[in-house]
Amino acid sequence: MGKYQIHVSTENCTGCLRCQLSCSELYTKTFNPSQAMIVVDVWGADCSIRFTDECNECGVCVDQCFYDALQKTKREGDK
Amino acid sequence: MTMGGFAGNVLYVDLTHGEIKQEPLDTALAEKYIGGLGLTVKLAYDTIKPGTDALSPDNPIILGAGPLVGTDLPGTSRVFAVSKFPTSNTIGWCGGGGINFGYLLKNAGYDHVVIEGRADRPVFLKIFDSEVEICDASHLWGYGMEETCEALWEEFGRPMGVISIGQSGENLVKFSMAFIERLSTLGRGGFGAVMGSKNLKAVVVKGTQGIKVADRKRYKTLSRSILQRIRDYPLLKEIQDLGLVKSFPQLPVDVYKKVKKRRLACVSCPISDKDVVEIVDGEFKGLVRCSTSAVNLSMAMIYGFKDYRESFKCMSLLDEYGLDMFEFFGIMGFAKTLSHNGIIPKDQLETEINLGSLDSMKTWARMISFREGLGNILADGFNGVTEEFGEEAKRYAPTLVKGMHPYAGPGSAVPWDLYGTMELGQVLDPRGPHVGASGSPTYFARRPLDVFPGHLDRMGAPREAIERILPGLSNRDQEQELKVGRLLKYSHRWFTIMGSLGICARAQINRFYSASLCAELYETVTGIKTDLKGLNQRVDRVWTLFRMANLREGLDREFETAPEQWFQKPGFKDYLTEKPLTSQESEQMIEDYFNEWGWDSKTGIPISDELERLGLTDL
Repeated sequence: MGKYQIHVSTENCTGCLRCQLSCSELYTKTFNPSQAMIVVDVWGADCSIRFTDECNECGVCVDQCFYDALQKTKREGDK
Repeated sequence: MTMGGFAGNVLYVDLTHGEIKQEPLDTALAEKYIGGLGLTVKLAYDTIKPGTDALSPDNPIILGAGPLVGTDLPGTSRVFAVSKFPTSNTIGWCGGGGINFGYLLKNAGYDHVVIEGRADRPVFLKIFDSEVEICDASHLWGYGMEETCEALWEEFGRPMGVISIGQSGENLVKFSMAFIERLSTLGRGGFGAVMGSKNLKAVVVKGTQGIKVADRKRYKTLSRSILQRIRDYPLLKEIQDLGLVKSFPQLPVDVYKKVKKRRLACVSCPISDKDVVEIVDGEFKGLVRCSTSAVNLSMAMIYGFKDYRESFKCMSLLDEYGLDMFEFFGIMGFAKTLSHNGIIPKDQLETEINLGSLDSMKTWARMISFREGLGNILADGFNGVTEEFGEEAKRYAPTLVKGMHPYAGPGSAVPWDLYGTMELGQVLDPRGPHVGASGSPTYFARRPLDVFPGHLDRMGAPREAIERILPGLSNRDQEQELKVGRLLKYSHRWFTIMGSLGICARAQINRFYSASLCAELYETVTGIKTDLKGLNQRVDRVWTLFRMANLREGLDREFETAPEQWFQKPGFKDYLTEKPLTSQESEQMIEDYFNEWGWDSKTGIPISDELERLGLTDL
């Protein structure tokens, strides 16, 4: 269980992939959305956002979201 | 530092012989031409044989994405194509918001793709990392632009970058375009027909290899600073909410809010401008459309449509066929005038031409796209129509620039009447009228002159150039002047900086960048040592080479003269004084533009000293 609980609002997502870019860069030192632990797919009016099993909920994806599609709250017990 | 930013390879595809090869990117060339638009122009110069027919197999298509594409710097998705265009018969650039195409191309391992020849059957080019294949597209031939994109996603899944054409491109309509992932337009001037002439229905790309930056620490500092400025921008939420409707309120905000389903963004962009809309009432209730913007979907209203829903339907059809709306409505207006004056015989009109009627425009869009009846002549554009109906038809021709209908100015779709860089640029961009390359402070009507120096400094214009552009600015006793021709050089240079790096040229994004920041970012991402002076020299080289490529094609001074109609009443006005502009004043601006570039003022041919400075003496 990670430091944050991540909340998803798919209706706000534009498919900009800033979350995937930042996640992959943080963990692989390479901008490579195919290696990200968040996976976004926006096609027309529809959107899905999911996290891989490896995601540790660090929240870097949330920090890069400009559209309020991702938000985070600290888990209880974390300071 | 290691070389970052670049994917490191150029892919060469010969459709005639079915040959595919990849070569390492020449790093010396990358250093000289920056990448993106710059390197695409260089590869085009080296590949296009002078005098090549735009629709012949010999005309190559060069695709490219700059070194910042694939990073998370805001708005760095830009994809460019350079080829010879059938309408203007010039070598032109076309570029669009890359959606996912640019980053996936880079992640597949390629900065550029050079496509030559003509396939003997309909094909699409599949680039999945190192697996590159010319695939049969007979099942897609006859599909619309979006239909093709959706079918390819269905077959191969997402994420996948797609450039596709509609039926008008297949049938070589001179004003057909390609689209990137059915959202961004690529190729006013007939790029769709160039793809169609190669039997190339689409290019699809997937990539998994990633892009590294050379100096991660410095990158993070620079990136954080840009993103913070965007977060602090007071209009951010409003622009995110309204997209281009905020700047072009031709579609009322209440209507936009009613139809808005989702905002869409190109990869890395925090200020999206693309739209998904749904019509919620009336005959077309339930029509869902993805578009470059809701503003574009309402463009038919400029030509006489009364109902936005009908406009959405009409524009959706034009997009699906892959037709350029400005040229489509321009040519329909011309055909209507010719018919009214008896030059087009009544029996050739299968249906009435009514620019405000959905039924009429639907019929004509289909007839042009499939080259049926009179549509076969209209499909060849203004030049095709005047060739068919002779000298008398020319008398009724609308204002034309390089064989195309200018989008801005008297008698055009956008009735801006102040002569700024966007307006003059329609004449001086070799590709012809396009909104892309000529932005400057004059994009906004009558901005006070004292905001210009800051803006020009951001665009990378040196102090002495600002004084030439704004003589009298520092001396209040002297009459204030604005040299639009000189200013246009720096518009083209600023556009070339952004295009070569891969940054979106839209005002909403480029306002957060400056030329000096771009130099820092280029060095940080690629590891190639540079400063503003060095970056400017590279872009001067790119735009001068672009000019040389067109001079080699026979571009002459007459082709770069503003049309007389612009100076008849009601004509263009001087940006500053709003007095009617004369053709002599416009000619002086063109000479100023050439002079500012270091080209011969009268002929526009780059002078030898300038070619030497840029290392282009071997041309």
